[in-house]
Amino acid sequence: MTMAAAKPLAQSSRVLSYAGALLETMDGALRDHPNAFIMGQGVDDFKGIFGSTTGLAEKYGAKRVFDVPLMEEGMTGVAIGAALVGDYPITTHIRADFSFLAMNQIINMAAKYSYMFGGLMRCPMLIRIVVGRSWGQGAQHSQSPQATFAHYPGLTVVMPSSSQAVLDMYPAIINRHPGPVISIEHRLLYNLDFTISPADKRVPLTSYVAREGSDVTVVATSVMVLEALRAAQYVQDRAGVSAEVIDLNSISHPDWELVAASVRKTRRLVTADTSWLEYGVGGEVCRQLMMRDPGLLRQPPAMLGMAPAPCPTAKSLEDIYYPSQHDTVDAILTQAKGKNHGIDLPVERSMTEGYKRFRGPF
Amino acid sequence: MKDEAIYRRLFRTALLIRLVEERIIALYPSDKIQSPVHLSIGQEAVAVGVCDALRADDLVFATYRSHGFYIAKGGKLDAMFAELYGRKDGISGGKAGSMHLAAPDVGLMGSSAVVASTIPHAVGAALSFKRRGGDRIAAAVFGDGATEEGVYHESLNFAALMRVPVLFLCEDNGLAVHSHRPIRQSYRLIEHAAAYGIAGRRLEEGWDMLAVRQATLEAAAHVRSGEPFVLEIATSRYKEHVGVGEDFHFNYRTTDSVDAWKRRDPLIVDAKLVAELSPELEREIDAAVAYAEASPAPGRLELLTDVI
Repeated sequence: MTMAAAKPLAQSSRVLSYAGALLETMDGALRDHPNAFIMGQGVDDFKGIFGSTTGLAEKYGAKRVFDVPLMEEGMTGVAIGAALVGDYPITTHIRADFSFLAMNQIINMAAKYSYMFGGLMRCPMLIRIVVGRSWGQGAQHSQSPQATFAHYPGLTVVMPSSSQAVLDMYPAIINRHPGPVISIEHRLLYNLDFTISPADKRVPLTSYVAREGSDVTVVATSVMVLEALRAAQYVQDRAGVSAEVIDLNSISHPDWELVAASVRKTRRLVTADTSWLEYGVGGEVCRQLMMRDPGLLRQPPAMLGMAPAPCPTAKSLEDIYYPSQHDTVDAILTQAKGKNHGIDLPVERSMTEGYKRFRGPF
Repeated sequence: MKDEAIYRRLFRTALLIRLVEERIIALYPSDKIQSPVHLSIGQEAVAVGVCDALRADDLVFATYRSHGFYIAKGGKLDAMFAELYGRKDGISGGKAGSMHLAAPDVGLMGSSAVVASTIPHAVGAALSFKRRGGDRIAAAVFGDGATEEGVYHESLNFAALMRVPVLFLCEDNGLAVHSHRPIRQSYRLIEHAAAYGIAGRRLEEGWDMLAVRQATLEAAAHVRSGEPFVLEIATSRYKEHVGVGEDFHFNYRTTDSVDAWKRRDPLIVDAKLVAELSPELEREIDAAVAYAEASPAPGRLELLTDVI
């Protein structure tokens, strides 16, 4: 699979998996904040939320890192109550789909408490939810609810797409953010290795340019940022097309001026999100651009997302349910050169097989 | 302190709550209070007895019917009226209204219109108290209907497992909006709590402020020793579910049960003390209403503050 060429590591650089980055930030939260704690189903077990909390219960004790009954709403309510008295709770859902059981507490309560009480109440907390994909996750282990959560004022929704993004963002959230944050982590990212470099450190909780380009703007989220970067390299190599990739990163509070500036330059847009298109992130990107200038785009944009159906389990269906590398490359080339661009596309194959093998660094 | 002195203290607060709500009834037709109000007239003894028994640093998490708990916990009257009026000087600057009264400075940690939703908050605060050491407790206040919600059960189970110092306080007025308890509940609350290993008690004399206070003192002592407790207190809602009127003419309930309650209601029976204390309390309310009237309305500058 074509990934960015491995660069020689700079002195202070290191390679760190996504799960490893999560574990470092969880450890840091517990170390730096005596009132931080982590609760969730299985946070203290041998799997440790795919390695992101492993060993922390032993290190910090059962009062700081603990398993809970199957009580998504109750757990989230407990977290809010603790936050209201000065704790910093971190909760986990090993599949995002289970966070829907906590919707009442997330949307009716946590999202409202600052505003509804005129600033009297604050519930800073981090809700970590994991999106599943591939190997038969099916309809209820695969949903990616960023648009749902970002719809509600009062919630901050982020989708870190790399180890660097986790390291930049989580401490900023835990140390400084006054309200509830939902971080949507993609399961496919967990086992990937990324190069971490102080030079790559970014301003957290906003969007950034992941790759500079001049012909087409690709606005992407989460694992689709990696897909976009792969595709950008491909179209550069094969067709000399220069794609600019923007990692939206903060879904609820992106840097729309950054996106608009890029599109002003390229006049062409591809959106690549991990969820459905209907009322989704790509639609919001278009709304933001339209509201600034309806003439920004030279042609209709290309939008990549899940097919408009619940996720199927069969691999043959799943492979065509998600946008593939083939689709992403085609979307960029079509934007740059028109539908009959005539450039060979990458072989259509399961994207997730690539991720199983992929070991970066990126 | 002698019972008589305690009674007088409790009575004064209970009467203040009733007079405040009667003032709301009087003001309501003027449309100055443009907020749904859920009056606690008939239920004052519970709020007053409970809050008097709790320590000042104990926390209460409440419901949309919380004028009584706000006042009993020590919330400021002028800020409350300004809040009902939707004014800048309201405790939440007019963004909360009647259903979301809060006074964290005196330990009222918010109230929710979505039934049962603050119950786990009390558990979470109490869990925090336990981890930090000390003997503060948190009380979850809810109606009998809230116990039908799933999160009540989740909260009981978790509190029992983690031995969280939380008091579950059920105000049982027998009604969920217009639905009577027998068609809603297959269980008895105290027996149900026992299935989780949580001790509990039902108090029938919810009109009796001293009895409520005593029951809460005993329950709170149990909680302070490190175990949750369920205290169910029978009470009576005189007015309609929401609004300032009565609802007997809809025939979903009779006046009998309420009349029986009124015959024991100290705020009615003890007319002499009502007459003695009312003038001073009415003056307090006059001042709070005047404060609300004089407060400016919030506007564009406030619309988008405190969102995050």
